[in-house]
Order: sequence, then structure tokens, then C-alpha cells
Amino acid sequence: MKVKLHIWRQKNNKEKGKFETYELNNVLEDMSFLEMLDVLNEKLILEGKEPVAFDHDCREGICGACSLTINGIPHGPEKATTTCQLHMRKFKDGDEIWIEPFRAKAFPIIKDLVVDRSAFDRIIQAGGFISVNTGQAPEANSILVPKQNADNAMDAAQCIGCGACVAACPNGAAMLFVGAKVSHFAYLPQGQPERKLRVLKMVEQMQKEGFGNCSNLYECEAACPKEISVRFIALMNRDYLKASCSEEKLEVINNE
Amino acid sequence: MILDGKVPSGHITEKWDKHRFEMKLVSPANKRKYKILVIGTGLAGASAAASLAELGYQVEVFTYHDSPRRAHSIAAQGGINAAKNYPNDGDSIWRLFYDTVKGGDFRARESNVYRLAQVSNNIIDQCVAQGVPFAREYSGYLANRSFGGAQLSRTFYARGQTGQQLLLGAYSAMMRQVGLKNIILHTRTEMLDLVVINGIARGIVTRNLLTGKIESFVGDAVVLATGGYSNVFFLSTNAQACNVTATYRAYKRGAFFANPAFTQIHPTCIPQSGEHQSKLTLMSESLRNDGRVWVPKNPGDKRKPTDIPEEERDYFLERMYPSYGNLAPRDIASRAAKRVCDEGRGVGPTGNGVYLDFSDAIKRLGKKVIEERYGNLFEMYERITGDNPYETPMMIYPAPHYTMGGLWVDYNLMSNLPGLHVIGEANFSDHGANRLGASALMQGLADGYFILPYTIGHYFATTKLEKVTTDHPEFKKCEEEVKERINKIMSIKGKKTPTQFHRELGKIMWNYCGMSRNEEGLKKALDLVPQLREEFWNNLTVVGEEGDLNIVLEKALRVADFLEFAELMLWDALERNESCGGHFREEHQYPDGEAKRDDENFCHVAAWEYTGVGNKPIRHIEPLTFEYVPLTIRSYK
Amino acid sequence: MGLLNYLRSTILSKVVMAITGAILVIYVIVHTAGNLLIYLGQDTLNSYSQFLHSLGPILWIIRIILIVSAILHIVTSIKLKFENWGAKPTKYAVKNYLKAKFSSRTMIWTGIMVLAFVVYHLLHFTIRVTNPQHYYPEFYQPHNAVSYVLLERFDVYKMVVLGFKNPLISIIYIIGVVIVGFHLDHAIQSMFQTLGYNQKHYFPIIQKSSTALAIIIVICLVSIPISVLLGLVGGKI
Repeated sequence: MKVKLHIWRQKNNKEKGKFETYELNNVLEDMSFLEMLDVLNEKLILEGKEPVAFDHDCREGICGACSLTINGIPHGPEKATTTCQLHMRKFKDGDEIWIEPFRAKAFPIIKDLVVDRSAFDRIIQAGGFISVNTGQAPEANSILVPKQNADNAMDAAQCIGCGACVAACPNGAAMLFVGAKVSHFAYLPQGQPERKLRVLKMVEQMQKEGFGNCSNLYECEAACPKEISVRFIALMNRDYLKASCSEEKLEVINNE
Repeated sequence: MILDGKVPSGHITEKWDKHRFEMKLVSPANKRKYKILVIGTGLAGASAAASLAELGYQVEVFTYHDSPRRAHSIAAQGGINAAKNYPNDGDSIWRLFYDTVKGGDFRARESNVYRLAQVSNNIIDQCVAQGVPFAREYSGYLANRSFGGAQLSRTFYARGQTGQQLLLGAYSAMMRQVGLKNIILHTRTEMLDLVVINGIARGIVTRNLLTGKIESFVGDAVVLATGGYSNVFFLSTNAQACNVTATYRAYKRGAFFANPAFTQIHPTCIPQSGEHQSKLTLMSESLRNDGRVWVPKNPGDKRKPTDIPEEERDYFLERMYPSYGNLAPRDIASRAAKRVCDEGRGVGPTGNGVYLDFSDAIKRLGKKVIEERYGNLFEMYERITGDNPYETPMMIYPAPHYTMGGLWVDYNLMSNLPGLHVIGEANFSDHGANRLGASALMQGLADGYFILPYTIGHYFATTKLEKVTTDHPEFKKCEEEVKERINKIMSIKGKKTPTQFHRELGKIMWNYCGMSRNEEGLKKALDLVPQLREEFWNNLTVVGEEGDLNIVLEKALRVADFLEFAELMLWDALERNESCGGHFREEHQYPDGEAKRDDENFCHVAAWEYTGVGNKPIRHIEPLTFEYVPLTIRSYK
Repeated sequence: MGLLNYLRSTILSKVVMAITGAILVIYVIVHTAGNLLIYLGQDTLNSYSQFLHSLGPILWIIRIILIVSAILHIVTSIKLKFENWGAKPTKYAVKNYLKAKFSSRTMIWTGIMVLAFVVYHLLHFTIRVTNPQHYYPEFYQPHNAVSYVLLERFDVYKMVVLGFKNPLISIIYIIGVVIVGFHLDHAIQSMFQTLGYNQKHYFPIIQKSSTALAIIIVICLVSIPISVLLGLVGGKI
């Protein structure tokens, strides 16, 4: 099949980007979307042109490296699917496809379709952990976790940190990412001692990174390849509100 | 040379305790004077970095990803083994040890495996404390399942994403230390060389993948946690960026590479659909519990599978291994599939595929039960292939998955180069010639959380290290060599892309050093690989600039090392004139196709020493003794 | 500005939006219910109006709460909106929405229009400067009066009927109310989400109820000018 690609090309963060149009004539429907781009890149290299830079790695939908906003939807049109697992049979012969990077102020473009998502790492760094040193752990079965809680925690913990939520949100908000991590620990007994401090610190870091505010549009949930629910944002809101009225809040303020 | 694994004396159950007591300590105040460079942020790297930083060492961590959480450990599906014996089904440390040694076809170091089984329980404790959401019973206690045909349930799991959850646990522990400024994290930074000063590993040379800047980092110890090299086959279940460069560069600087020919081929992967294919996707082995594997009886039968009548189908696993049937072990099932495809009876567009058919199971159990058991996998299969496995049989084919070989390390996880420690899949240590399911996660975390943090202290306490900075001439020399290599690659200006070379290399390796190997093929490949390498250095094209994010250059540097490494792998496969585990030499098999070990001549680790590009490396030996698990023949009849 | 410190926090800002929004929603519901008294006739509506006026200081407390809520709601929304625009400096060339409803994506615009509508509404009926000619005193006899007395009160009923008999004014009101409906469609469920009440099983019900409530309010309020225009209400005036 044939496709016409409009791909965002941008040399680096300082220069302006623009769309370039490419036509590919022998795309097979068994190709994954990224394999289709591989074909384009091989062609470009042989023509002596710079290939399109994009992030990718595991190509099985779990590492969270791949991104791309395809026809205005992060990770493309297929529900609950990362770009690397999207296949060309979801497109028709002669389709025009618009490929853009994940856009948000907190995800500056590095080159072409590659963006800098290190803001997520810094949010985790601020509090996305349970402070247990190696060796401190008690016997595993001494901590009981009701199955329901374990399942809820796992639903939240499935996040692959790809940033599609931010890319999909018209406000560039990271509430789903942060809400998922906060909820993951909030559902577990191990997460309780630091529960308030964690949500305060992570939200504060999220704001420092320049993410937008949540308007409850739920685009994030719809675009999330792991179908993480916005109810985790609600849980975070509640936890944050409680924490804002607690002693932990004073501690955070005093440390500033 | 006969290598010394530095295994402590005493009974195997006491070795580790005794060794921990005998090892010298570094006092807390002195720990902060030592800097450790950790390369790789998978399970092994992240857990080691976190643990070492918690102890008070200065740690610098390097990853070529944009975030440490992208490391390929994240893709592990099934679970992690531990000898907790929660189900009360008779498990013990000894049994886990025994199973792992036997599963590795007696080519692993007994003492290491025993230690691995010992610390397996601590890993589960640690991960639970970190908040890893393992599966639970309604009572709130941890759930277990059986795995890989084991006779007991010792596997802990978090849905089908155990690797992800364990990695996120280690990652969060590490990020906590980054936040506390105990760890300096370098992302999008790829190690391109190891710096050895007076025989001691003292640092690395890296390339910043965004700016192209070549930099040196000095440390008191270097820890490689850079994973395996399955991508030498081009198509594997590994991630795109997985490569051999870090370990291979260490090998070129004098570290010994052990058992490079030991690779694991996983039987149930989605087959290649065409030349464009970039990777192979693993489908959980559990599918073989209900699926029946078959191919058409007649070669070249192009009919739709549902049109082929029962009497024209060959359920070859059931035919060849009547007692185990479709549940034959990984290596056996993989080789059987290859055999029928080689006879021209393979299915799918490339002829490299066999059917995995659920129609009988659906008839017997109903669609609903099958959906409950495998719904997710069926969906994933449909997403990738476009076929609905409820209606038409799945197609599967074996694919390279894990590499048991790696840099040689002693009991302390230190290579023959003092200061160079190697952990996780990057070392050769615990799996022998074949890895059991749910053991890779266990080993990565054991090394990082509970072994290296002790042994590295012993190294510091017993070694006098001279003061070195990156101004040392050896650093400058290495930097120059790296720059020269890059310049050379940039200036070839030929006509073939790095991917084209990689694909060709992969074909050679898969055909001659894949699921089964023979002398003739290996010798042929030893002829082909240097030719391809020669062509690479004369006909490669790399576009773009060196001082920029350059995906072609990154790839070219990795392929360049694979092209040299492949030869090492071939030498090992050729010289190991026996079959064992994943290393199957056609010359050495029982009449029923079983791997035939030669314990008299090959009950040892082969550790190779570099002697120059294109030269045959020197084969050193570390003899293996089996005092506690007697050598026996693995049989599945 | 200690009071406005909450603006520094994204979540607290949203909480203020939700709480002030909730106050305004409750007001809209009560107001709608009051307005429906028009169907019970001139006397009922005018008595209700007189009752409200007789509350005196309480009325003013309610008014102040409403005014403060509205101001906080507006100030916070403007702050959030500017931040949101800043957080997404480059728009996609092609954008497809998956889940966000039209009403959800246009909150700032419907909000501005609702504000304009409310201002007009206040000028029209409360401060009575746009159509002073519709405003008449009415004389009535209290029910408990022993002797014959006539008391004067404002004839709200007549004012509404005369106002809505003008098709232009009716159209303004109908459009205004529909915009309020759009705003509420998103707002009510959003309030629950922001305040953390989103449980797997109940939230879909809340979302549907949000839309249903918005529709009911719109129908109730729109019915009044339509009834007047059709002569079903206040035909004799």
C-alpha cells in the first residue's frame, strides 16, 4: 500500500521546525508503524539525507520510549496501543498521515520527533518511591495487602511513563502520570508512612516542571496505552487536599 | 590458563556466610571516598546503584536511554523465582539450587547458583517493601504460580508485567538516591570504551548521544550491567538498542568473555512476517498448556490452516515426544520446530512458522475459559498479526531471547581485570548452558541488591588504588581511539546502511550459530563474518553529523562491535565440541535428538582472551566441579 | 495576599474552582426552582420575591457569598487558563479528540459568555436598568390582615412576562441558558472528580447525572420565555 507522510522535522530545540512530506509506495500491512518509518529512514540514508529521529526501544509496548502523535492522537488511532504496536493494517492505501512529536512545554523537542521527558524522572526523584534501603525489608508475607488493593495498585503501577497523557492533554498536564504513581503507593500499606509527604513533593515538582493544570477532559485516559484511569487523579486530589491540611505540609514549606 | 573462580572453601550451604564474614569491610566514613561507575540501569544496574549509594559510596550511573526506566528488564513477563515455599509444596533453597544447576545442563558454577538460591528470598522481601504490587490471594498473602513446567509453584508475579514492576522498584530506589544527590545520573550517554590503568579498570569513555561529546569518567571501580547480546542475531526478543559494545570493549581491554556461544532460543515467538521486520515478540510459554503445535504433513502445502484436514496435519511434538507432547522443554521444542521448517513444511509467508492451534481446547473448554486464560495474549497476537487466534491457529517460531554467556567473573562478580565488576545478564555466571524461566530477574536483582554491595567493599578494602584523574594519559589515549573510530566510521561514505549490515550478520549467525550448529557451518560462518566486516569498513554509509543526535552513527558503532563479537561467538561454538543446553552441536546428539554432553572434555567454562581483530582468541578454562548435584543426563522421554 | 495563596497550587486552585462552582450550581438550582413558581401564578411568584427581600441581612450574606464565589471562580479560572496555554505553547497541526466533550473543551468560552449573560440578567431584573419600563409596583392585601389594607410590592411576575414578550430578550435568555447548560454539563461531574470522588462503579453515574441535571435546568429555564411567547403564561398582562 501507499502512504503519504507529513513528518515534523526540527534540527534542534533552537531552530524552528516544519513538516516535510514523504511518500512511501511499498508499505506492507504487516509492518508496524515504526517499521514503516524504518523503511523510510533506510531510504533517506541511502539518498544521503538525514533520517527521521524518533525514540523507540523494546517495540513490544512496555518500555515507554516510543512516542509520536499520529493524526492528532498520541500513539495513533488504535486504542490501548503504543506506537510500536500499532500496525499499518490500521491504515488504508493512499492515507495521508500526520506525524508530530509529543508536544508540551515540559517536553522540549530535542530533534525531529524526539522529546525530552526527563521531567518525569525528576518527579519520581522528588517522591515516587518508598524509602526503604536494601536490607531493611521485613519478611514479605508479614505485610498483608488485600487483593482488591493489590489489584488497584497494579492498575496504577502499569504506567509505562511514555508521556502520552501529557501529549494528549490540551493543557499539557501530567496529572495522570503523577496520579498513577501516587495511587500505586497509596493503595499499599507499605506506602502509608510517606503518603502525605509523597503527594506534596511530587505535585510540587510537577508544577516546577511547567506542566499545565487538569481540566478534567479525560483525554489522558483515552490516549493512555495502558488505559490508566482518571480515578487515580481523583485519588491524588483527595490525598493532596488532606496532606495540605497536615503537618507534612508545614515540613515541606519549612524545607523550602 | 586455568582460571580461579575464587570460590570459598567449606560446605556449599556455608560458603556465602563464611565469605561474608571473611571479606574485609570499608568503614562508613571511608565509603564516601570511593567512586563507583555503574553502566546500565536494568534490574542489575539500578539495584546495584541504589544499594551502593545507600551504603554511602559515590555512584555515577550511565544509560543510553532517555530514562533509566526504559532498560529492557522492563519487558520480562512471567515472574521471579524464590525458594519461599509459601505453597508448602516442598520447595527449599536446595531444590531451587538443584533445579537451576540441572536446568543449566551442568555448565554453571555450583557455588554461585547456591548463593543465588539463598538470596532469592531476600529479593522478594525487598521488592515487597518497595511497593512492588505482586499478585495476592484474597487473604492478602502473596500468590505463587508454577512456571516453565516446574513441579512446584515458586514463581512470584505481577500480572504479565513482573519485569516492569521489579524494574520500577529498583528504578525508584535509585531515583531516590539521585534526589538525595548520592547518585549522579547520566542519561543518553553510551559507554564506548573501558579505561584500564596498570591492569586495573579505572574508568570509561562515553559519548553523549545528544551532543556527540566524548567524555571520560574516572572511578575506583567500574560495574557493567549492560545486558545480553541476543541482537547479534539481528532479530531477537531484545530491544532495538540492546548491544554488546560495553562488554565487548571490556573484552578488548583484557577482560575474558565466557561461554559466548550459550544463547537461549525461546520457542514461542511471533514469527517473522517479512524482510522489514525489526524484532520478534515473545508470546508467553504458558500458551503451550492448551495449544497444539502442528505443521502440514506435505511440504509446500499453501492451504489455509482451517482447510487442512486432520489426517494431513503433523502434530510433531506429540509425535516425537509422546510423554511431554506440546509441553516439551524450550530447547527441545525449538529444535523440533526448526527441523520441520527445514523440511519445507513450515507455514506463513516466510515458511518459518508452525501452528499453535487452540481449536481443540476451545471445543473442550469453551471459548470463555480460553479467553480468561489467554485473552491478553490473544489480543496482543491479533494486534501484531491481524489474525484472530480464536478462529485460526496462531503461528509461532523460536527466537533468540537470552544470552547465558557474558564476561567471566569470579565468585565476587569481578572479572579478571581488577576493579571491573559485571552483573546481571552481562556476566556468564549462574545459568550455565540454559536458563530456566523466571530466573533472569532473580539473578539480576541478587547481584545488584545482595552480592555486589558486599564484594565490592572487599575489593576496595584489599586493593591499594593510586590517585587517578581523567587527565591520565591512558584516558586521553582511549578518548583519542574512540574519536578515531567515530571519524573512521563517518568517513567511509559507502553504499550500505548499518542496518543492512546488521541484518546480514544476523542471518549468518542465525543460520550457522543459531538453534543448532555444526562444524561445517561454523567454519563457513567464520569465513563469512570477517568478509562482512571487511565490507562494513569499506562500504558503510553514515549520514548526519558526529556532534549531534545521530541515530545512524549510534547504530553503526554497535554493529561494528557485533561484527567482531560474532567471530568470538563462532569460535566458542566451534571449540565447544559437545551439545549442552542451548548450545546444540548436531554432531553430538542421542538418536532421539537429545543434546549429548561431553563431561569428560567440556565440563568447564571457556573464557576467551582477546588477541586482535580477526585473530583467534585464546581459550582459557575454569574447570567446573559438581560435588552437590551429581552429573546426570537430562531426559524428557 | 494570604487568601490567594492557594493559587500557587494547581490542585488547590482546582479545589477552589470546584467548591465555588458547587456554590454557584446550588444557587442555580434554587434559582431555577424559584423561577418555576411563575407557573403557579402572579401571586405565588411575587410572594416568593417578597419573602426573599424580607430576609434582609441574610439575603445580603447570601449575595456576598455568591459574589465572592463568582469572583474566586473567575480569577482562578483565568489564572489556570493562562497557565494551561503556557504549558502547551505549540498546538498540533492536526488534532483529534478522543474523549473530551465539546462542552468540556469550551469551558473558558462558555464561562465568559455565562458571565456576560449574568451581568445582563442582573441589569435587567435585579438592578433594572435595561428595561425600566417593565417594572411596576403591585398592590396586594396580606392574608392575615383584619382590616382592608393594600401594601405595595414589586410585580416581578409582570416584569418577567413583559420582558419575555419581547422576542429579542427571550432569545437572549434562551441562548444564555443553553450556554449555562453546556457549562454545567462539564462542571458538575468535574467537581466530583476534582474533589476526589471518582470510584470505578459510581463515576459513570455521576457523569450521566451531570448531563441530565444540566439538561433539566436548561429545560426548566427555557420553558419560561417560551411559555410567555406562546401566551401560556401571563397571557392577560
